[in-house]
Amino acid sequence: MSVALHLLIMVIALAGWSWTSPVSEPEPRLISARLVSPEPRPSPVVDEQDQRDLEQERRQQEERERQQEEAERRRQQEQARQEAERQAQARQREEEQERQQAQARERAEQQAREQEAARQRAEAEAKERERQRAEEERRQQQEAERKAEEEKRRQEERRKQEEAERKRQEEVARQEAERKRQEAERRLREQQLEALADQSNREREAEARRQQEAAAARAREAQMLTESEKYQSLIRERLSQAWYPPSSATEDMTARLQITLLPTGELANVRLVSSSGNTAFDNSALGAVRSLTRYPVPSDRDTFERYFRQFTIEFNPQRLR
Amino acid sequence: MKFSVQSKAFAMLLSVGLVAGCSSTGDTMDEEGYGSDVAPLDQDGGSTVYSGADGDDVSSSGLSDDQRQAAQQQAEQEALRNITVFYFDFDTSEIKQEARDVLVAHARYLADNPRQNVRIEGHTDERGTKEYNLALGERRASAIQRFLIVNGASRGQLETISYGEEKPAVRGSSESAWAQNRRVELVFQ
Amino acid sequence: MTHNAYRQGFPFATALTALVLFMLVAGSARAELLIRITEGADAALPIAVVPFAESGAMPAGDKVSSIVQADLTMSGEFRPLDPSKMLSLPSQRSEVYFRDWRLLGQRYVLVGQLNRTGERVEARYELFDVNREERILGETAGASANNVRTLAHHISDRVYEAITGDPGVFSTKLAYITLNRTGDETRYRLQVSDVDGKRARVRLESREPILSPAWSPDGKQLAYVSFETGKPVVFTHELATGERKKAADFPGLNSAPAWSPDGKSLLLTLSKDGNAEIYRLEIASGNLTRLTNHWAIDTEGVWDHTGRGIFYTSDRSGGPQIYHMERLGAEPKRITFGSRYNARARPDAKGEYVYYVHQRNRAFHIARINLKNGEESVITRTESDESPSVSPNGRMLIYATQQNGTSVLTVVSANGGAAYSLPAADGDVREPAWGPIVR
Repeated sequence: MSVALHLLIMVIALAGWSWTSPVSEPEPRLISARLVSPEPRPSPVVDEQDQRDLEQERRQQEERERQQEEAERRRQQEQARQEAERQAQARQREEEQERQQAQARERAEQQAREQEAARQRAEAEAKERERQRAEEERRQQQEAERKAEEEKRRQEERRKQEEAERKRQEEVARQEAERKRQEAERRLREQQLEALADQSNREREAEARRQQEAAAARAREAQMLTESEKYQSLIRERLSQAWYPPSSATEDMTARLQITLLPTGELANVRLVSSSGNTAFDNSALGAVRSLTRYPVPSDRDTFERYFRQFTIEFNPQRLR
Repeated sequence: MKFSVQSKAFAMLLSVGLVAGCSSTGDTMDEEGYGSDVAPLDQDGGSTVYSGADGDDVSSSGLSDDQRQAAQQQAEQEALRNITVFYFDFDTSEIKQEARDVLVAHARYLADNPRQNVRIEGHTDERGTKEYNLALGERRASAIQRFLIVNGASRGQLETISYGEEKPAVRGSSESAWAQNRRVELVFQ
Repeated sequence: MTHNAYRQGFPFATALTALVLFMLVAGSARAELLIRITEGADAALPIAVVPFAESGAMPAGDKVSSIVQADLTMSGEFRPLDPSKMLSLPSQRSEVYFRDWRLLGQRYVLVGQLNRTGERVEARYELFDVNREERILGETAGASANNVRTLAHHISDRVYEAITGDPGVFSTKLAYITLNRTGDETRYRLQVSDVDGKRARVRLESREPILSPAWSPDGKQLAYVSFETGKPVVFTHELATGERKKAADFPGLNSAPAWSPDGKSLLLTLSKDGNAEIYRLEIASGNLTRLTNHWAIDTEGVWDHTGRGIFYTSDRSGGPQIYHMERLGAEPKRITFGSRYNARARPDAKGEYVYYVHQRNRAFHIARINLKNGEESVITRTESDESPSVSPNGRMLIYATQQNGTSVLTVVSANGGAAYSLPAADGDVREPAWGPIVR
């Protein structure tokens, strides 16, 4: 048994060793796998961001200047217009006076003149608006063209920058990969050395642990066995008292009964597995087994399950009276 | 059965006395032999035997020394022949030393009286098995028979029978009773 | 899977080892626990013999169930329950409540009914195994009304056999000798009775000793030694007719008759050739063959269970001992050594034991020797024991012993476990001979 056990353990240890030894080859593949794995974004990204901010700022500045000019221009126009309006109002007030004076007289004429004036003014205004609109459109077109030009230039620049960056990053990554590969190789060598060194340690540990576990198992086993033996002898005693070997019994007779118990100790089943060849003898054994209303069984469930859930009772008289 | 009580008693006492006088034959079997129950008989028996032997008026005159001696011997022989019961140790058929003179006397008498027949009855005590005791009684009777023949009696005069333990001389289950029952009786017919 | 296999290999192997260890341990536990019972209860088997229900007038005297109870008690193997302790008195299966009988500690229950029709009594009886809750016997049997004892003994036999596997012997007969002494009057009587001592009948009466009754194997004849002619003579006696024949009347001893298993010859002890020797007498022809030849006493011959050899008593060693001659004419082998006096062998029918008279410490007991291992053991506690006779099933033994100065018969179980004295008869009772089972 123990020889078989040792053999088994040796076989297992060998199996474990042979499984572990050919591992050195796949290791580089791990490294290359790591090569393609994405690296974190390199630092130049921060520069590009700044550049883009500067550009934007510059553009905004231009825009702001342009808008200020525009506003100034509009303000001057407004001032001219307001001046003209103020003059017109003064003129209108004069004209109002004149008109009020001449109103009554020349209402129709006035009206016609006013209408003419309004019409002319409206015409002039419309012309002005048209001019302004055309002017605006032209300006906006120029602006759009300028912006498109600008954008195009910026994108070209960015593309160049990105290309450079990519190349730089690739170089960094290649260097990093090389470094890691070397590192990995070093580690692999170390690991191999460690592994070799560990081998004996592991074996010693395995042996120690195996012994420990075996000892623990034995201890548990022994405990259960002790417990089991106690109840075995109790059962033996009870059955001996309950068994009335028939007069025809001889010391050659043996009946074997397989009994199944409930954890409560009650008899669940009994089966004659080997007859003595003598019905009276078999019956005496069955009668004895069935006469116990409750078998003494351990309260420990493991012990019960292992030994007393199902067991065999052999009736074989040795000291016939 | 045919003897008087007195003669039987006499024979008994004589025999016992002889036994007592011959302690060298003491048995080695623990469960046999004459036990203490018998011992008290010893003193009386001893004196009786010797007074019987010496008590004759042997000093009477008129007879020659030879005649006197012959007469004395005859008297002694007759006295011996009064003894017809012979005792045995448990599970033996060995004739005791002290019985030999008596049996010689009987043998001579039978030789001198060829028409005298005698039945030799063998007995045992109650102990042991009945059938073995029958054989043992038979063997005791045969032992006496052979002794008588060797000493002059003829076979035709002698008949043996064994009663085993069936006909005890004394009833009871004591050492004394057993001792008195292990016997051969000569019955003259 | 394989990466970091170095690190995983160790716990993996360990786990596997542990698993295998566990499986080995569990595997050994799979070889189920075996409890061996090598000794039984040191007590008689509890059985309830329920008084039988009766229909019709039953003859006066002992009840059938009482006789059965007494029989079973006598065997020493049963301990019948006192009927007053019974919770119910069932007479058929439907009335039997196993739990009640279990509570009373009973292993078996016998119930029955008696029906009388005319001069006939019929018994219908059933025997139950209380723990297995099974009927193991269910029969009817009948007898004439004045033979109720015969019926009862038959039931006892059936019950005994059903439970023990051995045939019952309660229907067998005993032969024995009684001796009465009143004053100078002595009466020997050869008697035959039931095995419980009841229904005794005198077959021969004599003033002179009668000895050594022996049953023929068919139970129809007795051979014995009678001194009625003034000397021991062996007779055979046909019981049914009372016809007697002198079987052996040789000069000197004619004793210790024993029948051969075929009933055609007798072993005898004769002294016709000088001293006690064993002979075989063919009854029909009268042919005589001498089987022993020794200056010592050879007697008490009896056939062994094979019917080919004999046991007998010889004192060739200085005291009586038992010898076995395996074949007629073979060199005898001494088998008893335990004390200085061992005699009158009576082998059982199975060839397991030989019973004999054995002296120990000045007392005589019945002992037996186990033929397999030569172990000798004393089985009687009484003293002054004589004439053992084994029951035909080998389970009981009857012998004579002294009680208050008279001889009585005692039955013991063959292992000496239980003793049962037969009812005292008038005077001494001696030399019991257990008759055969007659089918």
